[in-house]
Amino acid sequence: MSYTNRGFITVTVLLTAAAPLLAPVGLRAQAPSTPAKAAQSTSSAPAEKGERWLHVRANCTDGKGGTVRVNVPLEMAEKVLPAVNHDRLHNGKVRIDSSDVNDVDLFALMDAIRTAKDGEYVTVQSKENDVRVAKEGNHLIVHVLDKGGSKKSQVEVKVPMKVIEALLSAGKDELDLVAALHALGAQGDTELVSVKDSENTVKVWLDSKSVAE
Amino acid sequence: MMLLAKAALGIGGTLVLAGAYTFREGVIRVDVDESRAGGSHIHMWVPAAVVPMTMHFVPKHHLKDAAEQAREFLPVVHALFKELKKFPETDFVEVKDDNEHVQIRTRAGKLQIDVDSPDENVHLLVPLSTLDDVVDELEASAPGV
Repeated sequence: MSYTNRGFITVTVLLTAAAPLLAPVGLRAQAPSTPAKAAQSTSSAPAEKGERWLHVRANCTDGKGGTVRVNVPLEMAEKVLPAVNHDRLHNGKVRIDSSDVNDVDLFALMDAIRTAKDGEYVTVQSKENDVRVAKEGNHLIVHVLDKGGSKKSQVEVKVPMKVIEALLSAGKDELDLVAALHALGAQGDTELVSVKDSENTVKVWLDSKSVAE
Repeated sequence: MMLLAKAALGIGGTLVLAGAYTFREGVIRVDVDESRAGGSHIHMWVPAAVVPMTMHFVPKHHLKDAAEQAREFLPVVHALFKELKKFPETDFVEVKDDNEHVQIRTRAGKLQIDVDSPDENVHLLVPLSTLDDVVDELEASAPGV
């Protein structure tokens, strides 16, 4: 073998060895050995089957016309939340005391609602506000219409009872956020919160798409 | 002549391998443009693999100080980056109004943060694996570890 050929072969071997190293991260991520998850979580494609996403969309139509879009995979929230240990939030649970809820026994109240039949529990109609609290099809529904203000706001909250049960599962003085998120993940596509007034709309909802439409 | 060729081949091969290793993790890109008079204009492309290597040369007490200050957030950041790796092509946050546009997203396994405002434009692109390495290094440097 001539010196020239030997040199050529050495260079070829070196470059061949370096080729996988030179491959960009993205290419390596799509290698057959890795699951297809990477490709499926693209912003345009639907999320992986079973993946649940919490979306927040806020639109403001005042002078500046702002928009806020937040897309959070529930799985990520479930994993990250327990790592937050700050103030009253520890291990995915929030510590509350009775003074936080004006001495109302939140747990007894929610337990009463949980075991009660579907129906309308609170209805307030006044010149300034309409308030309605109801239980419908295993969902707690809160509807507030503020007629007094100049903006005439409307708030609708719809929370699955399973989520409330999970939230209260930690015991008397704590709210289990991680358990609530886990329970939320088991729900179908649903709109959780909707706030509307003449200038702003806020929507929080759950679905299996990684990006808000 | 042949000796020279062999030496050149050796150096060339080493450079190729060193370059391949350095750039295998991608690059960190930082662009900052301040619009005000005398504002900064920073444009940096740094091989991501350099960062963890460089951290080994940072004096331990500096790393310890940094780790001490970030101690509360390190577990959160660690968990976050670990989870972000599972979503390599995702738009997480977008805030937009008449003047400003902020986007936080992942692209090809990199965290991409873009801020466009009248005062400044900031564009940051960092491989998630690099961020994870930095957090690992800080956690290892935290007092009591």
